Amino acid sequence: MILAAETDAGRGVTITLFLLMVAATLYVTVWASRRTRSATDFYSGGRGFSAWQNGMAIGSDYMSAASFLGIAGMIALSGYDGFLYSIGFLVAWLVALLLIAELLRNSGRFTMADVVSYRMRQRPVRTAAAFSTITVSIFYLLAQMVGAGALIALLLGIREGETFLGMDADTAKIVGIVVVGILMITYVSLGGMKGTTWVQIIKAGVLMSGAALLSLLVLSMYGFNLNALMTDAATASGEGRSFLEPGQVYGVEVAGDPLQTLWNKLDLISLGLALVLGTAGLPHILIRFYTVPNAKAARTSVNWAIGLIGTFYLLTLVLGFGAAAIVGHDAISAQDSAGNTAAPQTAEAVGQALGGVGLGAILLAFIAAAAFAAILSTVAGLTLASSSSLAHDFYGKVIRRGKTTEAEEMRVARIAAVGIGVIAIFLSVFAQNLNVAFLVALAFAIAASANLPTLLLSLFWKRFNTAGAVAGIYGGLVSAVGLVFFSPVVSGTEDSLFGAGVDFAWFPLENPGLVSIPLSLVCAVIGTVCSTERDVDGFARLQVRALTGAGAAGPDRG
Amino acid sequence: MTSTRAEAPEGAAAGSDRADIGTAAVAMHADPRFRALRRRLTVFIFPMSIAFMAWYLLYVIMSGYARDLMSVVLFGSVNLALLFGLLQFISTFGIALVYSRYAARRLDPLSTELRVELENGDAAGAGVASADNRDAEPTTMREAGA
Repeated sequence: MILAAETDAGRGVTITLFLLMVAATLYVTVWASRRTRSATDFYSGGRGFSAWQNGMAIGSDYMSAASFLGIAGMIALSGYDGFLYSIGFLVAWLVALLLIAELLRNSGRFTMADVVSYRMRQRPVRTAAAFSTITVSIFYLLAQMVGAGALIALLLGIREGETFLGMDADTAKIVGIVVVGILMITYVSLGGMKGTTWVQIIKAGVLMSGAALLSLLVLSMYGFNLNALMTDAATASGEGRSFLEPGQVYGVEVAGDPLQTLWNKLDLISLGLALVLGTAGLPHILIRFYTVPNAKAARTSVNWAIGLIGTFYLLTLVLGFGAAAIVGHDAISAQDSAGNTAAPQTAEAVGQALGGVGLGAILLAFIAAAAFAAILSTVAGLTLASSSSLAHDFYGKVIRRGKTTEAEEMRVARIAAVGIGVIAIFLSVFAQNLNVAFLVALAFAIAASANLPTLLLSLFWKRFNTAGAVAGIYGGLVSAVGLVFFSPVVSGTEDSLFGAGVDFAWFPLENPGLVSIPLSLVCAVIGTVCSTERDVDGFARLQVRALTGAGAAGPDRG
Repeated sequence: MTSTRAEAPEGAAAGSDRADIGTAAVAMHADPRFRALRRRLTVFIFPMSIAFMAWYLLYVIMSGYARDLMSVVLFGSVNLALLFGLLQFISTFGIALVYSRYAARRLDPLSTELRVELENGDAAGAGVASADNRDAEPTTMREAGA
């Protein structure tokens, strides 16, 4: 089956919708830039967003192209295990809701480090927090941008060996990365949090309506009988019943190799832990809680996000099974071996079945545009998180020791957004062959190891201090990155970064979370106990602020 | 209401994150009502977190180690693994709902009461309100007993 985008008419519709999306988001960005005057506007959108607006934006940050196209593709090709992946992503929101959102909103102002460093020595803690924020964001950014390049080429239907406007597939990927990078720099440096949040809200609307419409059409082809759809998907996958059972991708049982089977199963648990604990440590998610007026609105916005994200993953389940049943395994993997184009292919096939080639091309263009919007908004959120931390934590508090003016910090944040964007473009062009799913899992593992334990300890452990926080952050960061470096992902196997020829892998798991999360906790506790520093009054002030909201940063007037 | 109250510290704290409600908060930390608020929060969030983590890990571990059981077909093409997965969705929605109701009923009124008191400077009847002027925010000290 050939994507209609490869025909000129289909491609025309897709490109028109892409340009419309770009025009709408740029318009919003320019509008927001006129209303961005203070640092609170830039970092936190003036704290004036309503709970449902922020809920949409949180969902939008989270429903990246990687999770929309990636999970739908994984379900289409591997059935049940793709669903398993999405469940970790959803349950993770309970950690954010119960333990983080409100307390962070009450006690911080702009970044995660505001809370962690509250009762500690500012410079070492903020340096560590800026380090982990930027590391997590860059890995996640790489995942999104590497994916973006390949996706734009695929969505426009440019295949290996073909040319489009004189570009071959590889050039088109690089152009895709650069275009996405320039747009994201524009959104963030001009629009700040206000612009970025509105871009997210637009994207959430487009993506949700696209996914809902397509799922309805898929279901309508099966007379709204989910069971018939699943049976068809299982049959068409060629796997039969095991398509609907765990074990296709994660925790694979290797016959005759009990040790590898053990590692595979531990890897599944390690991944599950990182997914569920990583979300509440992702810097671009954490700073979203500052965009609402108070803690109660932060709680309600997480509830909105949970509803939105949960619904979205149920829709991807339908889309994934629909892709398997209607498009079929071979056609999906022929287009892209990871299944990333399963959702757009389904859109086209469903459109053709219901209304002919024309409807197929329009639906395809619509879903492709939704995916394009998904790419743009997630990378903007990540760039904003890292430039905020660089400007507020590192420049403002470490280099200038808190003696900056708002205007100066904001100028630095805008420059930082450009700098980080350029670095991300550069790295993505050279990292094009990295596996996207691995980069996402790594970002979650670092967030779960370096950020979440220190954040929780700083809110709830009276004795916790500078040495503990620094040890916890660096311990989690270094162990997560280090273990992956010595894992089969980087060397020693066919699919690894260095290929099978180079082998320095001694850590058997692909996901470090099972080791690095507890290790970070141990580092934090040992670091704390080894230092005599304690600030009992500081802890009292932090807890009273966190729980009551007294003295919390409020919304901008006007 | 919430927003007007919270505005003053935003301006006052612009230069330093540490400048806040100051020593009144330290006194508040020992106030029995604050202890009650913290207990109400922690008796909900910690056991609930342990519960949903255990429930989720049970699901992941069963997906890894109890494949025969997870493969049991319940009806049509729906097996136990799929049902278990959908139950994770339902439990997530349910816990979010239960927590929000609990917070609105048991946490919000008390935390609002304490916040208003702190920001007005009536520090918990402990008589230390007058110390609450570190960041020179406009507070009205109605009960400056000290």
